[in-house]
Amino acid sequence: MTNRWRKEFGKIYDQYIDKIYRFIFLKVNSQEIAEDLTSETFLKGWEAYKNQKSKIKNQKEIENLQAFLYQIARNLVIDYYRKKGKTQIISADQVKIIDPKTNLEEKAAVNSEVENIKTALANLKEEYQNVIIWHYLDDLSISEIAKMLNKSEETARVMLHRALKILKNKLNQDV
Amino acid sequence: MTEAELVNKIRKLRQIKPSSDWVALTKSQILGEEPKVLFFPFFKPAKAGLISVLILFGLFAFSQNSLPGDFLYPIKKITEKSQAVFVPEAEKPKVQLELTNKRLEELAEIAETNQVRKLPAAVEEYQTNVSEAAKSLEKIKEPEKAKEVVVEIKKLEENKQKVEKVLATKIDSEKEGDSVQGLYKTPAEVLIEDLEKRTLSEEDQKILEEAKELYQAGKYSEALEKIWILSQNK
Repeated sequence: MTNRWRKEFGKIYDQYIDKIYRFIFLKVNSQEIAEDLTSETFLKGWEAYKNQKSKIKNQKEIENLQAFLYQIARNLVIDYYRKKGKTQIISADQVKIIDPKTNLEEKAAVNSEVENIKTALANLKEEYQNVIIWHYLDDLSISEIAKMLNKSEETARVMLHRALKILKNKLNQDV
Repeated sequence: MTEAELVNKIRKLRQIKPSSDWVALTKSQILGEEPKVLFFPFFKPAKAGLISVLILFGLFAFSQNSLPGDFLYPIKKITEKSQAVFVPEAEKPKVQLELTNKRLEELAEIAETNQVRKLPAAVEEYQTNVSEAAKSLEKIKEPEKAKEVVVEIKKLEENKQKVEKVLATKIDSEKEGDSVQGLYKTPAEVLIEDLEKRTLSEEDQKILEEAKELYQAGKYSEALEKIWILSQNK
């Protein structure tokens, strides 16, 4: 039985690992910390998944696994900053980006652009960061985002609109 | 900057990805997945049969060095018994004696290595084998076969004496039929009968008569000693 659950969760892992890693990385800006928190997210997710399947430890039904994983990740990032008393400092040399381009000049330009957007995003309020990441990077629909935030679709749409506007302003300021 | 341009810029962040090695390693750590081929071949039904056969062969091979009282010793006995099934009826007494000799070798090893706890089981094994050998010898009718087994019995006798010397005790059963001496009975009988049918010189006839008397007195090995040279020459 556990083997079947392992297989099922393995598929979930494959589906969400990149998204969760990126979600965390954009908040902690360190490959090492992002890896630690991502693995912890999936470990907690796996434990909860097993408990839910075996109906033990009063585990509540996980209605939306995607939302559940993001929630674990968010809590872990919050805990991380709380424990370490750290502020989000963005440093370009900590970024690990897989880039197929080999031309150095082009690569530098892309990296610089990515750095700018990353820095600007990191300076947004957490909920604005989240809606941008979910909608534009992870392709979540407004309705899915609304469910994750436990808000109406209209509120989610407004929030996304505001987030995008603030991000645009920040990028314009940098230029 | 238009909204579309901004969205394009945001989407460039999709380049941020974890390394594939880390992804694979973390998955196996979280889900406890071991490399399937190496550690979980038993779950593959097609391989299970092959693995079982290999384990079985390994057990049989391993059990050949076991001694009475060992965990694998019964497997050694099973192997011997299954081999004996394929032995022709006429060869069985000889094979049985060879097995009894094996039991003596085991006893010798136990005695030499001072494995006291295994001793009672080993002595019992030996005695059972002597008894089985005696039963299989009863079927001997041909003098040639009788001569063959006498050679084996002599070897057995020598080995037994060596073991008794190490153990400083007798290992033969009290019962005549279950002792090495008792093994000489049938060969002696067959060889005496054979010699009775032959024309013997007066001197040889006298030896035969003495052998018959010894046989009647239950001194089978001595009876055999008497007629052994006569039988070899005939």
